[in-house]
Amino acid sequence: MRSLYVRSFGSKLIWGLVSSFVIVVCVGLTAQTEDTRMEVQTKNWEGRGIENGAVLFANNCATCHGQQGQGLQGVAPALNSRYFFTRRLGDVGQDGVMTLSNYVYLTVAAGRPSKDNSQWANRMVPWSSQFGGPLRGDQVVDVVAYVMNFEETALQQTASEDPFQPFLDVSKPPEFQNIGISADAEWTPVQLAVTSVLPMGDRDPDYLFGALACSGCHDLNEPQAPSSMGESGPNFGTIHELGTYRPEAAADPAAYLKESIMSPDAFRVEGYDDAMPDDFASRMTEEEIDRLVQWLLDPNRVTHTRDAGGNIIDE
Amino acid sequence: MSVQSPAPQKKPWFIALLSALDGIFIYLTAGISTREFRAMLRGDAPGRPNTRLTPHADAFLLHIKPSYYHESVTRFTHTYRLGLLSTYLFLFETITGIILMIWYAPTPERAYVDMIRLLNNVPFGQLMRDLHRIGAELMVGIVTLHMVRTYLTGSYKPPREFTWLTGVLLLVITLFLSFSGYLLPWDQLAFWAVTIGTSMAEAVPPAFVGEIINLLARGAPDIAANGLLRFYLLHVLFLPLLLILFFFVHYYKVVLYGISLPAQEEEVGEDTANRVPANRRVYYLPEVLLDEGTFLLAVTAIITAVTVFLFQAPLEHIANPQQTPFHTVAPWYFYWLQGLLKIADKMWAGVIIPGVLLVMLMAIPYLDRNPSRRGADRRVATISGIVAGVLMIILSWMGTPAYAVQGAPALEVVEKLMPEEKVGISRKIGYKHIPLGTYDTREPITTDDAEFAKLLDKFVHLLEDWEEKAPDFNDPWGLLTVTQDQANLKHLRWEITWISDAGTEEYFKQDYWLHKGSYYWEQYGRKKFGVPEFLEMQNGG
Ligand code: HEC
Ligand code: HEC
Ligand code: HEM
Repeated sequence: MRSLYVRSFGSKLIWGLVSSFVIVVCVGLTAQTEDTRMEVQTKNWEGRGIENGAVLFANNCATCHGQQGQGLQGVAPALNSRYFFTRRLGDVGQDGVMTLSNYVYLTVAAGRPSKDNSQWANRMVPWSSQFGGPLRGDQVVDVVAYVMNFEETALQQTASEDPFQPFLDVSKPPEFQNIGISADAEWTPVQLAVTSVLPMGDRDPDYLFGALACSGCHDLNEPQAPSSMGESGPNFGTIHELGTYRPEAAADPAAYLKESIMSPDAFRVEGYDDAMPDDFASRMTEEEIDRLVQWLLDPNRVTHTRDAGGNIIDE
Repeated sequence: MSVQSPAPQKKPWFIALLSALDGIFIYLTAGISTREFRAMLRGDAPGRPNTRLTPHADAFLLHIKPSYYHESVTRFTHTYRLGLLSTYLFLFETITGIILMIWYAPTPERAYVDMIRLLNNVPFGQLMRDLHRIGAELMVGIVTLHMVRTYLTGSYKPPREFTWLTGVLLLVITLFLSFSGYLLPWDQLAFWAVTIGTSMAEAVPPAFVGEIINLLARGAPDIAANGLLRFYLLHVLFLPLLLILFFFVHYYKVVLYGISLPAQEEEVGEDTANRVPANRRVYYLPEVLLDEGTFLLAVTAIITAVTVFLFQAPLEHIANPQQTPFHTVAPWYFYWLQGLLKIADKMWAGVIIPGVLLVMLMAIPYLDRNPSRRGADRRVATISGIVAGVLMIILSWMGTPAYAVQGAPALEVVEKLMPEEKVGISRKIGYKHIPLGTYDTREPITTDDAEFAKLLDKFVHLLEDWEEKAPDFNDPWGLLTVTQDQANLKHLRWEITWISDAGTEEYFKQDYWLHKGSYYWEQYGRKKFGVPEFLEMQNGG
């Protein structure tokens, strides 16, 4: 028997014991750190969710809500806002009914179907694919995590730092009573209506400028100069002299403006990013765009006051 | 096989108890008494009649095993126990796999989230996942090595041709088993590897057959809910059952013909595996069983240690059919196919060549008519085997992104520093080593952080390297802007500007965000002992 290739029982026993010991030690070490590991992993995936949300926000939401979530007058409310994190839920009557993160989730997933609150140029569309939007369920979750992560900076804001834009659907909160933003005095929201009230093709330039939210990013009265740059988009107060300050437009200002509206990425004005929506060519007819350009270039352009249906009421 | 009981006489109660326990022991071991067991442990020769053989007749699991082996085949260096190891790994995968199934639902809405939940909330969940993953990759490797060993010892020669053939089928099943599991985490890595893989089926001629196969595998023109379900069912049900079936056929043949002896043990053309002289028998009980047991225990120990200290199964971003990752790769055992695809069209690389290879592999016993299994007589076979192996390795290398794929230089640079998937240098040094500010590669590096200085230095060098390598990438310079977008969230904007060979200025921009809590554990390893330190880092430090 011993002459055969058979290792001694003792050596096998040692092999077996050492191996078992190694297994026990490894599993034991794992057991010891499991709690911490799970905690670290949970934080890790929360963090990565927010990272994903940041990308989604930049690609889908920043044009309306601002890259820093500061909102845009007439376009979309601020999200990086103390008001939003402290009072908004109560103002819409949901305090104690749902959490803010659920409120955000529902708003983002399903949008705001009603156009009652006409202070904003466009509706907040549904984002979840469940409601016909472009984002998958997990993406909605991530972008909501990103929005909720504004909380820490938002809560450090004072009332005057809060980029809050008063909502017309709720009464003005007291802490905003005595500071610049006031719901009834300086704040004159663009009164808009469902964009489809006036038929496409027939819409006046001044109506379009409000209805398509150009006014949210472009100021019609302020001049555009190094000392007076529009924050969200170039100011249009001096646009009739465009050729003098924008060399690219010198040859043919009208053609330049038309291109700027139809394909904003064709030329990027220095100091701005790609915030301008690039789908206007499909939301206006070409004649409408031509008329809009002429209107913009006209130093004596008029802007009418209109009712909710888009009908002129100041004549 | 009960203990011989002498004429009835009054026994003390403890003797009665002992013999009752002995009875139970015999019952459980299907025929081994405690006395015989002790004799085994002492290494005594079996008695006559040899009661150590009874379990082979009485016990289901043991009746599959031969009761003794020829001493020469029990040497480790003959089989390297690779067949045994393949069997064991299958069992190992079954056990860890069933545990994973508890927390997994095969739908696109849940699969990935379930993975995260497994990692976040399930004690030992990550360990199970890592073990299952490493076991799967290992099994592919071990089965292949087992094939190499039987090839090199010429064990496929008569009468074992059919054993080899079923072996090839087992190899194919193993590959598909591993591949079907690849999709289940539903991350980018999984989704695109499987998309590439199944798209090869499309090339099967004629076109409509290819389409049907593709449709059957994916459940729709593109992989989605249906495809995931199908891969899941293949992975947990159909393929394992198929593997079990063919394993029993395979192993039945192995036992029937006996494991082939080392060629020097017998005359050329002879097969004496089943005629083992009494003085060279090594009984399964206890020698071989102990050998196999300790071997498998040692392997388990190594796998566990490697998993705990070194190996982490990756989990990339959730599968996104709209976004093809920068470099998509097949699993490593299909790199050779991807390599072929780069030099031949889909029809050749995806269907004809693999098909011919498979048929040739199965036909080896019938093609090789040389009766000798001795190395010296089979130079041609050995050398062609080695050549085939080297070819496979070269093709596999060609399948990696290192060969003949190159993105735009600017993208390649950013991809090195902060890739879309995987970790990369920036995430490796992590949130706290990336200070806010704007950094221009044309200016000298000024930062107090040594880790960050290395990153910037790498940025500069990558740009220089690509300027040399790519003709349309001239005078590049880069800008890294780090801003604090939210609490605990930094925004890294990578910008690269260069002059194309047409002389125009080109610009590339990529935005990424990095959260303080992100741990990217694939890179750190689990660092068992360091975990609390990371927690501290996430919380405040
Ligand atoms: C077309 C412009 C637009 C885009 C793009 C947009 N929103 Fe909005 N969002 C709005 C408007 C307008 C409102 C206000 C709706 C109302 O109150 O009727 C709003 C409201 C919200 C609210 C609720 C705010 C409150 O205080 O009630 C949240 C949260 C929100 N948006 C998040 C997002 C996220 C996240 C995205 C990107 C996925 C996004 N929005 C994209 C226009 C937009
Ligand atoms: C979300 C903000 C936003 C909205 C809404 C928006 N723009 Fe703009 N617009 C910009 C920004 C930012 C720029 C400068 C960057 C660029 O050139 O793309 C710009 C540039 C322009 C320019 C070129 C100005 C110049 O000085 O060169 C014109 C013309 C223009 N927009 C017209 C419009 C019109 C008309 C609308 C509505 C139909 C509109 N924009 C809506 C943000 C916006
Ligand atoms: C899941 C995959 C497989 C399992 C579980 C398996 C299992 C086994 C086992 C347990 C043995 C006993 C001897 C030994 O350990 O070497 C064996 C022998 C053998 N296997 Fe496999 N095998 C597998 C795949 C293959 C493959 C891919 C091939 C070749 C293409 C192959 C060819 C053979 C041959 C020819 C023998 C006989 C060896 C001899 O008699 O010396 N097997 N197999």
